[in-house]
Amino acid sequence: MLATAVNEIVSTKLNPNVVPHLHIWEWHIPLYLFLGGIAGGLLVITSVMIVLKRKFGIGPRDEGNGCPCLAVRIGSILSPTLLGIGMLFLFLDLAHPLYVWAFYTTIQPTSPMSAGSWILIAFFPLAILQAMLVNKRQLRDMNIELVNRVIDWTENHMTIVALMNAHIGVGIGIYTGILLSFFSARPLWSSSILGMLFLVSGISAAAALMLLLAPKDEKPIYSMIDANAIWIELMTVGLFVLGGLTGSANSHGAMMHLITGDVNLAGMSYMFWFWGIFIAAGLVVPLLLEFLEAAGVHIRFPNVAPVMVLLGGLVLRFLIVFAGQTYHTFV
Amino acid sequence: MSNKKNYGMVIDTRVCVACSACVYACKQENNVPEGYCRDWVVQETGGEYPKLTMENRSERCQHCDNAPCVTYCPTRASHYAEDGTVQINRSICTGCKACLAACPYDARFVNPEGFADKCSLCQHRIKQGLETACVSICPTGSLNLVDFNNIDQKTKQLLSGKVVYRQKEHAGTEPNLRWISASNKPGA
Repeated sequence: MLATAVNEIVSTKLNPNVVPHLHIWEWHIPLYLFLGGIAGGLLVITSVMIVLKRKFGIGPRDEGNGCPCLAVRIGSILSPTLLGIGMLFLFLDLAHPLYVWAFYTTIQPTSPMSAGSWILIAFFPLAILQAMLVNKRQLRDMNIELVNRVIDWTENHMTIVALMNAHIGVGIGIYTGILLSFFSARPLWSSSILGMLFLVSGISAAAALMLLLAPKDEKPIYSMIDANAIWIELMTVGLFVLGGLTGSANSHGAMMHLITGDVNLAGMSYMFWFWGIFIAAGLVVPLLLEFLEAAGVHIRFPNVAPVMVLLGGLVLRFLIVFAGQTYHTFV
Repeated sequence: MSNKKNYGMVIDTRVCVACSACVYACKQENNVPEGYCRDWVVQETGGEYPKLTMENRSERCQHCDNAPCVTYCPTRASHYAEDGTVQINRSICTGCKACLAACPYDARFVNPEGFADKCSLCQHRIKQGLETACVSICPTGSLNLVDFNNIDQKTKQLLSGKVVYRQKEHAGTEPNLRWISASNKPGA
């Protein structure tokens, strides 16, 4: 009679960071992962748009004087700005923020957080340079000596800068997922596809943001990028879920905890957040709306789809970070 | 005989009475803040009535030879010490909490003063030739400090012929805490 057998563990452990379950990261980290993902996505999209236009003549019309279209110009500014805000949250999450310099006294190849802290620094010079180059007409009007010299020196190499930035953007996007996925002690996070999931989610959120900002004649291309990214994201999240369900008892249990979980997050269960908000409202519905719009159907509120995509991306980060902590440690 | 030490513990659960003296000795010795602990006592009951078994044991950081906290630490604050233990350099710990997430034993906590904290195996006492606070106070001799590179005769006898286990070995951590199972008790 196995049913009556007991296995009960009573422990005197107190530590609130790990009892009754891991409790180390609250809203700062998911928000940072979301902003970092968008920043990476914006850098990828704007860089690819620049290269496509310069090398192949594909994309919206340039504004002239070497400046690309408006959405690329705004996106290039937003990318380092959003990452900067995200890093502020990351900084505020540290238990001892004044020791942040310690990240930059060493390179630890086995620590994704070490790699990440370096890639965050590597991101800024070229991302800011790109933001300057695509907005050089406005900057030249301001006539600041140093800025003029930087632009003079680099303006003929914008394609190379954009090519490098496309890669750095991918690096940032993947890193936000890898940060979690190397923790083998946390079964939900311990999936190597999490890096890809966060990358495509970041790209689709970035495309949605550019779709919101772009003037009317530039919108179709971002709608197309967004729809494609959502497709890939749906496939990737499918693989993430199936990988968990078909995995060991640890992985299976953790995935069930996420997709059927009754743990309450801001008044709703994980299950509802995952299927209702993230999958349905954040991916499937906006995909349908963008598909219909591309097919010529008049959508009354065209901004609804991109806002839903952004919301879905934010919910994904919160869900993964929280559900990964509330599930029990690797056994 | 090896000159290089590799300290760990052998914990004899047959004689542990779960008195928590190890917990409070540690708290006093290491100034562990209120509401936190570096070691703790677990009572595990299993089986089916009337054939129930119970094991009391003291637990703490396992001072792994392949410690995920060290692997993941971005600043080298968590590191392997000369004596084989895992230590934290407070002066470069940013409190990023990656080590807490990395530890399969949930042995760590964030000290309210802003650094990751855990059992140091009383490194400061070992350096003076003393045993750890928990070992020195254990009233039943359940706790034993052992250099696994030079296992002494007493420990060899203690381990001989017993069911001895390590926790979550399949995590690949090579932990340095060994428990003599309560199933070794006569009549268990």
